[in-house]
Amino acid sequence: MSDEIELLVGGEPVIPDAEWSLVWVDRRQRIAILRRGPEREAVAIEGGGAEWAVTVRGRRIAVGIRSHRDRLLAETGVLTARLGGPAEVRATLPGLVVRVGVAVGDEVAAGDSLVTIEAMKMQNEIRAPRNGRVAAIEVEPGQAITSGALLVRLADPEP
Amino acid sequence: MTPPFRRILIANRGEIAIRVARACRELGIESVAVYSDVDRDAPHVRAMDHAERIGPTPAAESYLSVDAILDAARRSEAEAIHPGYGFLSESAAFARAVESKGLVFVGPPAETMEGLGNKLAARRTAVAAGVAVTPGLLVPAADARPSEIEDIGYPLLVKAAGGGGGRGVRRVDGPAELDTALDTARAEAVAAFGDGTVYVEKLVAPARHIEVQLLGDRAGGLAVLGERDCSIQRRHQKLVEEAPAPNLSAATRAGLADDARRVAEAVRFHNAATVEFLVDESENRWFLEMNTRLQVEHGVTELVSGVDIVAWQILVAAGEHLPPEVMEARPTGHAIQVRIYAEDPWNGFGPSAGTVGAWQMAAGPGIRVDAGVEPGYELPTAYDPLLAKLMVHAADRGAAVARLRRALDETVVSGMSTTLGFHRWLVDQPAFVDGRYDTGLVSDAWGDGPPLTEHDRSLASAAVAVARRDLADSRPHEDAAAGLALDGERPWSRLARTEAVDHE
Repeated sequence: MSDEIELLVGGEPVIPDAEWSLVWVDRRQRIAILRRGPEREAVAIEGGGAEWAVTVRGRRIAVGIRSHRDRLLAETGVLTARLGGPAEVRATLPGLVVRVGVAVGDEVAAGDSLVTIEAMKMQNEIRAPRNGRVAAIEVEPGQAITSGALLVRLADPEP
Repeated sequence: MTPPFRRILIANRGEIAIRVARACRELGIESVAVYSDVDRDAPHVRAMDHAERIGPTPAAESYLSVDAILDAARRSEAEAIHPGYGFLSESAAFARAVESKGLVFVGPPAETMEGLGNKLAARRTAVAAGVAVTPGLLVPAADARPSEIEDIGYPLLVKAAGGGGGRGVRRVDGPAELDTALDTARAEAVAAFGDGTVYVEKLVAPARHIEVQLLGDRAGGLAVLGERDCSIQRRHQKLVEEAPAPNLSAATRAGLADDARRVAEAVRFHNAATVEFLVDESENRWFLEMNTRLQVEHGVTELVSGVDIVAWQILVAAGEHLPPEVMEARPTGHAIQVRIYAEDPWNGFGPSAGTVGAWQMAAGPGIRVDAGVEPGYELPTAYDPLLAKLMVHAADRGAAVARLRRALDETVVSGMSTTLGFHRWLVDQPAFVDGRYDTGLVSDAWGDGPPLTEHDRSLASAAVAVARRDLADSRPHEDAAAGLALDGERPWSRLARTEAVDHE
């Protein structure tokens, strides 16, 4: 059966070099050594399905796998996103909401701080991914949130 | 030798609690762990002889609760309390409360901590001792924006007045940024120390951050154990430390030791402390603060001096005098420490979270790892994200850098982004290899981090392509012990050409 997939590293398709060989150092922890000629790198491999991560020289690199069908869908999706439409701003980390810097109806520009989340004793600004108008605020200060929690809904800016 | 105490409670968690427990065990002292609910099964709990629950997960209700910790000490019949670093380690009120229960606080006297914990008083002490300080000002939580700030001149640093460790430090380049910086620093000061007082001081740049390790006994004996360079920082918090400081004139090295001794002698001091300085390009030096506690980076001084600082903290707390071999310890060789934090260096060193997957630490000659986590450990977001400290010791700095590079190549962590990627980059930077860097290295040379190289992409994609096939082949055995699943297969899996994807 042909395995028609595409590997994406940093969002770009990559054709794996067949010269790399792999030996597991610890299969349970998924630590392996990759070799190519004189080169030798210890890596950790995580994930499965469509989402993987490989830690190389201490850097955790996301590797995606998608089929042709997924790729076609994604290309259509990119087009839709450019046209605007509502956007959901989500927490990129778990923590505690310490500040909500916007109110419903506020116009925001891409990069504006929307919500401040405290995690590991640091304050982290969650910023607007694009220009827009705040349509809804889903959290309040003092609330504990998980990674991926919906924080703010953005609508298109007023014309 | 009779142990100095029968039982010590360690009022901390993570790697430092384990570090202190190791010293206790070597001294023949039983250790008592404390834990919040989320830490019930944490490695530090298992590292000790006894364990006491001290409350729910938030630090304010557990590791920062004086009552809960004193109660645990009473239940466990501990004779002394070691506070580690962070949490209550610089709380004079805690030290006093411990002593009031008839227990020994393993740290400096409460009044010394009180005097030096207040940055303004600490600076007055330094000035009185003839040690230079940078211009600065203490701003109480109630005082919105005192006009004296403008007199100091920009750029400024705004930071939490309580504690050390670089929490809540903000750089301010002009008046427009001041109010926001004050607000943010206050919020972080309240979160970390429960006190919104902030400190504003002139920013010296470019500068190196160099500190001197002190150890004192109750009879006035004071050992100056040399300096550490802690200039590699992000958000004014240390990432890498080394001892001795590289490329420093003998006169400045001696001057720093002398200044540190003068500050310590101006206060009533015993136990462990660190005097921190800024050193500019012309090797002018300014007193920053004196931290009256064990430092995260004490290990590099232990490696070069041969002095077990934690063991001596405990021994001097019990009244022992520092012997000549500690008083006259001189550094041998060179040591470097890198801190492994759960942070993503490619995302502004922002926090990362998750469960530790792979956990392979370096080993072999000249390596020390102080770790507080293990495979399968779910990192709580409530506390400091330090996973481990990797230290190397070698005959000279060149050998230490080579050893660190080797150690980093052996070290593998997965499950979350860590600062290891930054450290692996660092050991190949000429500025680091030559030992010529200052506190601006992370912002100037690292910036947002190097982009992915073709080599990175090639490796990462090949790893997934082979692993995906390999793991699918052996799925029923996936949880089998390491190596078993390879039975009957050749050890080196090769990505067959047919697996290389032709996507058109």
